[in-house]
Amino acid sequence: MLKRDHQVVLPTQARAPGFRVELKGTTFRLVATGAWTVAEATQLDQALKRLRVPIPPTPDFTGEMDIGGIAEIDTAGAWLLQRTAAAWQAGGLRTHYAGATESFRILIEEVQSRGNAKRPKLEQTSLLTQFAGDMTRALKGAWDDVIQLTAFLGEVTAAFFRLFHQPWRFRATSFVHHLDHAGLRAVPIIALICFLIGAVVMQQGVVQLQPFGAEPFAVNMVAILALREVGILLTAIMVAGRSGSAFTAEIGSMKMREEIDAMRTLGIDPMDTLVLPRVLALVVALPLLTFIGDIMGLAGGGLMAFGLLGLDTSTYLDKLREVVTFQHFMAGMIKAPFAAIIIALVGCLEGLKVEGSAESLGKHVTSAVVKAIFLVIVLDAVFAMFLSGIGV
Amino acid sequence: MIFENGKEVVIRVRGLAKSFGSHRIWNSLDLDVYRGEILAIVGGSGQGKSVLMRVITGLVIPDAGQVSLFGRSVKQITPQDRVDIEKRWGILFQDGALFSSLTVLQNIQVPMREHLELPQAMMDDLAFLKLTMVGLPPDAAYKFPSELSGGMRKRAGLARALALDPEIVFLDEPTAGLDPIGATDFDHLIRKLQQTLGLTVYMVTHDLDTIFTVADRVAVLADQKIVRTGSPSELQHHPNHPWIKEYFCGERARAASPGQRPRIPA
Repeated sequence: MLKRDHQVVLPTQARAPGFRVELKGTTFRLVATGAWTVAEATQLDQALKRLRVPIPPTPDFTGEMDIGGIAEIDTAGAWLLQRTAAAWQAGGLRTHYAGATESFRILIEEVQSRGNAKRPKLEQTSLLTQFAGDMTRALKGAWDDVIQLTAFLGEVTAAFFRLFHQPWRFRATSFVHHLDHAGLRAVPIIALICFLIGAVVMQQGVVQLQPFGAEPFAVNMVAILALREVGILLTAIMVAGRSGSAFTAEIGSMKMREEIDAMRTLGIDPMDTLVLPRVLALVVALPLLTFIGDIMGLAGGGLMAFGLLGLDTSTYLDKLREVVTFQHFMAGMIKAPFAAIIIALVGCLEGLKVEGSAESLGKHVTSAVVKAIFLVIVLDAVFAMFLSGIGV
Repeated sequence: MIFENGKEVVIRVRGLAKSFGSHRIWNSLDLDVYRGEILAIVGGSGQGKSVLMRVITGLVIPDAGQVSLFGRSVKQITPQDRVDIEKRWGILFQDGALFSSLTVLQNIQVPMREHLELPQAMMDDLAFLKLTMVGLPPDAAYKFPSELSGGMRKRAGLARALALDPEIVFLDEPTAGLDPIGATDFDHLIRKLQQTLGLTVYMVTHDLDTIFTVADRVAVLADQKIVRTGSPSELQHHPNHPWIKEYFCGERARAASPGQRPRIPA
């Protein structure tokens, strides 16, 4: 904000902005007074819009913006004056400023020159075009993901087989570290969740089957469901949320800080140091976690069976022995290493796709979790079809 | 209002002390900022240059001492007065601190939307005006911060700082991370805007070129206080302090000093 006199504190009435238009000889004068600042801009804007542009009767009439009475001005005020002056100019009045101090003049000239800059129009696309564009992008993105993930699977497999020729490339420390983080430390949460879900399924089974007098069959349902589906699915989803996102965040933040580029220039292959230990650790950890999940699911079911059906432990175990075959157990277990590969691959790949910014990191972590869970469920569906196809 | 030597003091800091843990950064720091000047704050790293800016703007609470803004002590003002004071300054953070979910134009309009009730058309016009005043091309208006280069983000951040036509602007390392050409352009921009808008500029910087070309006065942070203030050439010719001597009379300073480079006329 520019003041006419730096030292003067304006009394309130002198701050009130205003203007009047008068005709003096052949000059239309806009006499502006008070503080023309952004705080008063709304009021001035409305008043100036109501003002009609004077129509010069003969061409030798001129316009004048008399700002000698303005005490304070800023860019908003200067812009309002300039807009009015431009309108007068367009109406056929040659308009000039009067009463400006040096600093006012600099500001008004600046606003005048900047205000004429051409503005780009924001492109408006129709909703249909936008929708079609979004769909195309989404489909193309999904297809790209498929290609990238397949290529990455190939790279990881090649790196894995390279280990047989060059076993010294294997990073044992890193492998054990990830086994600890993704495996051991996930035990409590996975055990708890599987236990609770086992109990809930048993309770619902008993309640729903009771009207048919078939509540003892709830045990069959829980046993088969826990071993074939619930154990592996819950574990895989939990691990995708816990470790898949951690993989993306770890690798992504390294990528962000150019650590991965540094590794490459030092002759270290990020595939060996970052990706393989994580993939292998998860391939080992997930089946073990699934086993714990299975057992805890059955335990949760057992607790509910005791509460609702009055089955004691040995009866419950006997019933399980009758119902459960090794095939049921394996039908669940076989999916675990595959789910592990998917989660680890998606987590590492999304991490490597992170670009320079923190937003990019957040976006890729989210998408790693979403994609991993989606793919795990697809995998589960494919296995369900395959296993029922071969009659297991 | 406080006056000293016929000049209005817009920021007055007295007896400021601040420690982080056992590390004491200032013991008793005094500083005056006068209306209409470009003040550069310099000092070695860890001397609390940026922290001082954050104390003045109320982002960090000092352990002791007081800060007066426009003649009023910040300890005695109501939250409403605080908002009124915040409208009278603009802050450019190091990397612009633009809101990443908004376009540049929307970023510039944030303060207007928050504090004023302007019609949308007028906000658009004013935001475009600010955009061109800081030297951004008009087509940057609809871009998101992530699509801009570092220099453009700083300019956009400056445009947002200027949205309400403040009296003081705080610049945190305005030329850091810019190439020499971009930095020189930015120096010129600071001087130009300071003249056009009658700004008081408080600038934290390391950049000797910026200091010699645009700063009216330099305040040196060392030994847990402001050890000296004075014009850049005064400090260069009469350093009186080992750090100032090293800073203003070192090799880099000689290359940047006014004899080598024309000062941007005030």
